[in-house]
Amino acid sequence: MGKKVLIVDDSNTMRKIIARSLRQAGFEFEKLLEAADGQAALEILAGETVDIVLSDINMPVMDGIEFLRQKNADAQIKAIPVVMITTEAGTDVLNEALSLGAVGTIKKPFTPEQVQEVLGNFL
Amino acid sequence: MDLGKCISDATQEIFQSMLMCEAHPSAPLATRSNKFTDSVSGLVGLAGNYRGMLAIHVPNDVAMAITSKFLFMDVEEINDDVKDAIGELANMLAGSVKSMLTETGTGLKLAIPSAISGAEYEVECLSDGDGVIVPFCIEEGAFLVECYLQNS
Repeated sequence: MGKKVLIVDDSNTMRKIIARSLRQAGFEFEKLLEAADGQAALEILAGETVDIVLSDINMPVMDGIEFLRQKNADAQIKAIPVVMITTEAGTDVLNEALSLGAVGTIKKPFTPEQVQEVLGNFL
Repeated sequence: MDLGKCISDATQEIFQSMLMCEAHPSAPLATRSNKFTDSVSGLVGLAGNYRGMLAIHVPNDVAMAITSKFLFMDVEEINDDVKDAIGELANMLAGSVKSMLTETGTGLKLAIPSAISGAEYEVECLSDGDGVIVPFCIEEGAFLVECYLQNS
């Protein structure tokens, strides 16, 4: 059965690339949702149950780190796994994301094989 | 710190892994031109222990071809998709430069990427500091990647 996935990135191009990479990696979906920042993602999660969130870190309005904090503060959505997909390769910000419950990280640029390797346990 | 090599390696990696094509670098340019015509430029500011700018300057036809490869669809005009795609290229390149400058990421922030386009425009940058401009060639044409950094 397909999964519901939420992709959070301020770049429309990157959201499309991530969605394509998921398909190229062999994942099937019941629904693909998109949000341009953390605030918009929280609004979607208030009305939709998803299986996993793939989120950028460096975004306007609400970045990926603040999104993790606010998600964790909401008991209804706290358990949804989040994988960070980001240009931020610095260990500090990635460790902060992991300490806030992110279940994995993928660095841009990425290949479908790298996406498959990280998401294989969740999709 | 070999900024030119960093830009060369990062650009080739991005084009190979995300656009499935080869970007061939040439020797860095000795001088910089502020003026660009019929082009799209993606820009990312860096601030903190270093301050500066990473930019990619792409002629319109090459920018449309790159966006087409990104999105798997025909692109026949300079629109928001093209500017977004070129801005995202700048974003990934800036991330690579940041990784080179600081392994932990401490003390260096990347701005949100932006993009401009037009028949004729100028892009100013720091008048001092270290800088490099690397030309690249793909099947559809040539483009420039430049980075200027000043130690704060």
